[in-house]
This record gives sequence, C-alpha cells and structure tokens, in this order.
Amino acid sequence: MNLIRKGIFCYAICCAWLLSVPQVSHAQLSEMQALKALVENMQQTLQKALSRIDQLEKEKAANAVKIEQEKMATTARLGDVEKSVQAVKSAAGALNPGIGMVLDASIDQRARKGGNFNFRSAEIGLAASVDPFARMYGFINGTPEGVEVDEAAAITTSLPWNLTAKGGRFLADFGRLPKIHAHELPFVNSPLSVERMVGGETQADGVEVNYLFPTPFFLRATVGGYNKMGEGNDRVDNTKPRSWSRFTYLGRLNTYFDITDNHSIEVGTSHAYTPSVRLLSDISGGNRILNGIDVTYRYQPLDSVVYQGLIFGSEIFRNSERIGFDDRSNRRHSYGGYSYAELKLNKNWSTGFLFDYAPSIESPGKKTIGYSPFLTWNLSEFNRLRFQFTHMDDRVREDKAESGNQFFLQWTTVIGAHTHGFLSR
Amino acid sequence: MKFLMMGKKWRLFLIALALSCAQAGSALAQQIRVVATWPALADITRQIGKELVNVESLATGVEDAHGVPMKPSFIPRLNRADVLVLIGLDDELSWLPALLEVASNPKILSGQPGYIDSSVGIPVAEPPTRLDRAEGDLHPKGNPHYLLDPVYTKITAQNIAHGLSRSFPQHQAVFEKNLKVYIAELDGWIVKWEKMAVPLRGVKFVEYHQEWVYFANRFGLKRIGAVEVKPGIEPTPNHIVSLVQQIKQDKAQVILYGAQNPRVPQQISNETGIKALRLYSSSGGRPETDSYIKWIDYTLRTLVQAVSQS
Repeated sequence: MNLIRKGIFCYAICCAWLLSVPQVSHAQLSEMQALKALVENMQQTLQKALSRIDQLEKEKAANAVKIEQEKMATTARLGDVEKSVQAVKSAAGALNPGIGMVLDASIDQRARKGGNFNFRSAEIGLAASVDPFARMYGFINGTPEGVEVDEAAAITTSLPWNLTAKGGRFLADFGRLPKIHAHELPFVNSPLSVERMVGGETQADGVEVNYLFPTPFFLRATVGGYNKMGEGNDRVDNTKPRSWSRFTYLGRLNTYFDITDNHSIEVGTSHAYTPSVRLLSDISGGNRILNGIDVTYRYQPLDSVVYQGLIFGSEIFRNSERIGFDDRSNRRHSYGGYSYAELKLNKNWSTGFLFDYAPSIESPGKKTIGYSPFLTWNLSEFNRLRFQFTHMDDRVREDKAESGNQFFLQWTTVIGAHTHGFLSR
Repeated sequence: MKFLMMGKKWRLFLIALALSCAQAGSALAQQIRVVATWPALADITRQIGKELVNVESLATGVEDAHGVPMKPSFIPRLNRADVLVLIGLDDELSWLPALLEVASNPKILSGQPGYIDSSVGIPVAEPPTRLDRAEGDLHPKGNPHYLLDPVYTKITAQNIAHGLSRSFPQHQAVFEKNLKVYIAELDGWIVKWEKMAVPLRGVKFVEYHQEWVYFANRFGLKRIGAVEVKPGIEPTPNHIVSLVQQIKQDKAQVILYGAQNPRVPQQISNETGIKALRLYSSSGGRPETDSYIKWIDYTLRTLVQAVSQS
C-alpha cells in the first residue's frame, strides 16, 4: 500500500514541476493546458485510489475483528462443552445405568363392576452395557398386587454368525403384541384373547437365541426354552425344578418387506410347545401347543411420518391341550385373536378400533367378543392421554363379569431414560 | 450334459458371462460397505472413498430427524456393513440404537473402529444449560444439525476420512488425497456461497424446529422464534398468536419448515404475509439436492430468491 502511495506522490510532484516551467510559446501554452487537464485527471484518480485503499484497510480490519470474534465464540462454546463433558465424567454415577420410570394409571368404569381409580403400574427401567460382550436391562414393576421383577435379562452383543443370546427373565419372542408391555400398547388394555390364550405378557424365565439370516431382506429366527411362558400362565410353578419335558420350547420366524418406501408388511409365525403339562390334579399330563400368526401392515409416508400414518395389526392364536381329567385322545382346540387399526390424525392425535375374539381355553365353544374404539392424545413423546370405550359380549363367565359397556381414561407418563427396544416398535 | 451338447459359441458366451459375473461380484465384495444414516453423510463418504466404497443411506432425506421409521429392512444393511457413519449428538437416538441391537454386527457398535461419529470436534451450538424435559425434547449434547454449516462439513469430512482409515489403514493415502480434493472443492463453494448469501445478512426468520442455527450463524440470518413451543412440543393457539405478533413487529421475512406439518406455517404465512419455505435439513429431500454441495447451493439460492421477492 505504501509503495503505491509513494509512486502516486512522485508522479504528482513531477506533474507539478512540469507545470511550473516558464512558458515561452503558444504551442507550449496549449501543451501546458493539456498537461493541467492531465494533472487534474490524475488528481481525481489519485483521490479515488486513496479512498479505495482506506476502504480496503477498513474491510481488512473488520474481517480481522470478525474472525477474532468467531474464534472467541468458538472457544467459548468449546469451553462450555468441555465443562459439561468434564462434569459428566467426574460425576460419581458416570457409569450408572440409564434409569427411567413409567407411570400408568386410569379411571375405569365397567357396567358390571362399577368405577375405579386404577393405579395400573409404576415401572422402573434400568439398562447399560455390562462389558464389551453383553448388555443388561431390567424392569421392576409395582402394581396394586405388589412389586415384581417384570424383566431382568442379559443379552450378548458380540456373538459370531449373526447370533444373539438372551438369558434371565424377559418377554419371550412369541407373537407381536404379547411381548409388549401394557403401557406401550396402542390401546388401554391387553386384548382378552392374548390374556386367555397366551397368559398376558409373554413373561418367561429361560434362554433365547436369535439368528439373523444373511438375506437381502429381514428374516429372523428365534428358539427359546423357558420354565413357562405367560405372566398369567399358572400351569407351572416357576420356583420348582421339574423334568425337562415340562418346560416350554419356542420357535419363531419373523420377516418384513417394504412394499414401497411408504408401505410395508411384517409377518411372523410362532410355535410354543410344552411336551408335558402337569397340573396338580393331573398326574398323567399331556402336551400343549400354542401357535400364532401375526401380520402388521404399516403406511408411513416418509416425508410426513410424524403427523400421518396408518397401522393395521392382526394376530390369530390356536391353543391345543388336554384339560384336567380329559381322555388322552380328547384335546381341546381353541382359536382366538384380535385385529386393530390406528390412524394418525396429526403429530399429537391418533384414533383407532380394536376387535377382540377371546375363546375359553376350557370350553372352546364359549367366547367373549370385544369392540373398542379409542382416541389417543400424545401431549409429548413422554406424556399420553387415551380414552377408550369397550363393548364386551361375554359368554364365557357365568356371571358375565366382562359384559356390557366399559369406559377408560388412561394417563401414561415417562421420566428419565426409557426404551423397550426393537421388539416393541 | 446339456452344456456339452451346446454349440461352441454358446459355451464361450456362457463362460464369459459367468467370468464377468464373478469378476463383478468380487469387485463389489472388495468394496468397503458403508451405511450412512443420512444422504448428506453418504455423499461426503462417497467423495472420500470414491471407488473403494459402496455407500448406502438409511434415511432418504425427506424424513423428520426425530421420526425416521425403525424399518426392519435397515437391519440386513447394518448387518453387512463394514462401517457406519452417523450424525451423532444423539440425532439418531430414536431409531438407530434399537436397530443396532438386532443387527448382529459388533464391528459397527459404538466404540468400535467401524463406528464413525461425524460430530467429533464440531463446535456444537446450543448446548443445553438446563437438562430437564420441561425444556422440551432436548438434545443433551447440543444441536445436531451442524451439516447446515458447510465450514463445519470440512470437520465432518475429516472425521469420515479418519474413520475409514482407522478400519482400512491400507487405503489411508487414498482417503487423505480425496479428502484434500473435497475440502478444496468445498472451500471454492464456500467463497461462492458467502458472496451469494450477502442479501441474507440480517434477514429475520422463523423456524418450525430448532435446526437452522448453524446455517444462520454462518450466513448472518437472525432467528426470531420457532413454531414449536419448545423443541418437539407442538404449538398452542396462544403461542401462534404471540408468534404472529412477533413476526409483524420484527418484520421477519421467511418461515422455514422441513418434514413437519405445513398447516401451521401456511396459517402463519396467510396471517402475516411471511414467506413459508419447505427446506429439508438433509440432502436427498429433492431430486435437485442429490449431493451435499447441491443441497447447500439449492438451499441458499431458494432463500435468496425468497428474500428478494419479499
């Protein structure tokens, strides 16, 4: 910049000197005028150049300030983040598992039973990695009946050959909704068909191995062995050792296809086999076979999935076993299941309808049929209100306890870390 | 037997076909299989890995970052992957960890060489000062939408190059060379974008969800509010009324939304005259944004055009 200034200054001095030489002729006079004009022109150019130099210097200074400010802001942000990281690292509970709690409560009104403020459950969940080879999770559930370990299981994370093993108490991989916790269901109550045929949630003490097939599409197999399957299944006492023929063995195959980007279908088939069911009053025993087929269709438009969508799910169960003192050749076969559809109205609201067909295991000819429209309001991802009306036609119980109209207003809230993983999607 | 009975030409043709298939298969098998969570990351990885990598993206670019469906069809891809590239900062928290649980691929689990967190070293914006869900659906580690700042994308590209080199050190020189070329290309574009964005300096805008902070910081826009009451919490009628007043008072020029419901932005646009623009926070959301550079370029051009018309 200084060199340019000096050059321009010398040039101006030269021009001034030329103008100061005495003029002796007309030709010289006109030349002098021309030179004067030239000098004026040069002066203007010089002025413009000086202004531009000043402007550039100002811009340079401004840019330097801006860069410095950015550096300072970045350093400050990094400092904040660093402090947060240090705070987390130095906390005494840094290696504690993720902890969450779910409260599930409702106001119930049943035609035959009356009303109730129903404290359904308070579930505490814990989850963390055990080491590089396994992770562990647990759900401890408090209900009006007491507190119990709903699930507590370890799962391998690094087995070869696409294998995963799970052991402890967990929800066995049978069907779709039977292995979902009640507060995660799309409606208020677990379908009566699931309650009667599976025994509610597929809670099981045992081991399970999953195999992911190396296919271009999703195909997964599960085999498992358990004391029994079903939280409400009282055919076996969990605490008493018994012959291996009196355990329950499970096989499941589950696949999924994207029909298009927005439409998909998922199909599963489950088979639970207990070689010998021996109730206290039944010395001879006999096997029990519980089969299930589940189909789920999802419409999830990718660009609007948070506020639009439809899901249709259906499961059919078949139970076959001898009851009490039945003759060996006399088995009781019962068929039941449910279907539901849920439509997302916007990000917060959805509505749906559940049809439930629940036979009696003991008297397969008798059945209970339920019709349940429901409306869900998700105030946020962690706070949900649901209203459900259910009409039950109960032909199983003598007292028709479930018959008539029922109303439920359910409130489910979550604090802390909470996830039931892939299986409950 | 049938093969032996075929004509000589047919036999030669079938042998050549089989050989070419085997060659193609082995070339594909030699490529590094990369799964990226978002198309922008997939594109950056392709620029660095070039012919050495075969990259797939799980999301398509039109999804809401908080609403990517947990599709089982993602699982076979994750199962086969040598490397996983993700945004990090808990951006994929709602869907990716659950898929990784069943993908049976220890190579791409957190902490393993095949797990590339692109956010390492990013000067994170908006780290929460109060970790409480009363503040909405917070990102405890800060705002994860840093790809909207092309300068920070140079850090992302470095992370990807280093991550690929960690798993495949034999190709490190190629990755480093490609990284330099890509960063030089980005630098060229950044100079152009800075010039292009001059009309955006000082422009006041409203966003649906808090995802434009990095873009605004880089190009000088000023955010005056959000449609969501708090992150992840849909607007209440009162909030919309006060937002409308604020837009009028501050003379905001654009309202930005992506995969969210356009109903509220359109309603606010009708009431205030503000321009409502759907701009996705990843590449791939539109056919003309199939690469990272095209996406930032499209976003800037669209915004400049909208501001000049308003």
